[in-house]
Amino acid sequence: MSTPLLDRPSALPRECVPALVDLVVALADNKHALGLRYGEWCSSGPTIESGVAATAMAQDELGHARVLYGMLEELPGAPRRSEHEWAAADARIVAFLDASFPTWPHLIVANVLLDQALALVLRTALESHYLPLRQRARKIIEEEEYHAIHGQGWLRALAAEGEPVRARLTGLVRDAWPDVLCWFGPDGGGALACLVDAGILQEAGDRVRDRFLGVIGPLFRDTGVEAPVRVRGTRWAAAEPLPWASWDAQARRVRR
Amino acid sequence: MKAIGEEPVYEVFARRAEGEPLRHVGCVAAPADALARVYARSIYDEESWIEMYVVPRRAIIPVESVRAEAVDAHA
Repeated sequence: MSTPLLDRPSALPRECVPALVDLVVALADNKHALGLRYGEWCSSGPTIESGVAATAMAQDELGHARVLYGMLEELPGAPRRSEHEWAAADARIVAFLDASFPTWPHLIVANVLLDQALALVLRTALESHYLPLRQRARKIIEEEEYHAIHGQGWLRALAAEGEPVRARLTGLVRDAWPDVLCWFGPDGGGALACLVDAGILQEAGDRVRDRFLGVIGPLFRDTGVEAPVRVRGTRWAAAEPLPWASWDAQARRVRR
Repeated sequence: MKAIGEEPVYEVFARRAEGEPLRHVGCVAAPADALARVYARSIYDEESWIEMYVVPRRAIIPVESVRAEAVDAHA
């Protein structure tokens, strides 16, 4: 039996609403913060072209946050958010976004890891039975294609500069790694599992994490940036256990 | 990565509407094709182009030029 399309918030299964609210808040807050962090490099990228690209990505991320915040206005029990203010006091952002990016490699690691992790989660909503989410996800994913090219292109260029830069990138990847890998949720998706059951997301947890690792694993291998990811047969997997005991599922952030 | 000013230059071409000619709209400097695409899209987005291309400047074969050496190099 196919799940019926859900065209408005009142059509959502009641038990799914809190998990959907938590997910959309965390997606939007992270995109809002990421947009502002990208924006801080608008006029200070290594080249004019890279500064303009950072500006374009900042505009994209702030736009994504705006449409996701708009979705919250329709959902019962959702916190109020505005794209016009800096992150709210209870913003659900990962630690890597807490402070400005002090160097261009910080921006690139955020671009490669966090930006693409958020995009991959939204990609699981491309066929969502909840139409307000599906419609928003489609537009966002179109723009994210260029963010992925930017991040991967710059990671390759930076890594080619030599071992000191690769070591720096390795350290930054280590910093961002726990939050980004946990973002997909525990094995079966944790709190997101009910959204999968209702057809609001196509998948969550390990399946999405595996797809993410399948993209960045070969990238890190090719560039010589060391990340805790290993290939076993044809499958890329995390080489170290993830810190689930410190994972805050609602804030979607590892407690430190 | 090459130093600023030493990166390869890509010429950017775009078409506004079906039937219109492909126009040269500018150039970008980028270390590789992939980033050249991103930069062209970011910088030359003032119109709703239906097509856009980047071409490495070194791939363009001169036919005539006041700079004779540029033509001679490909003769």
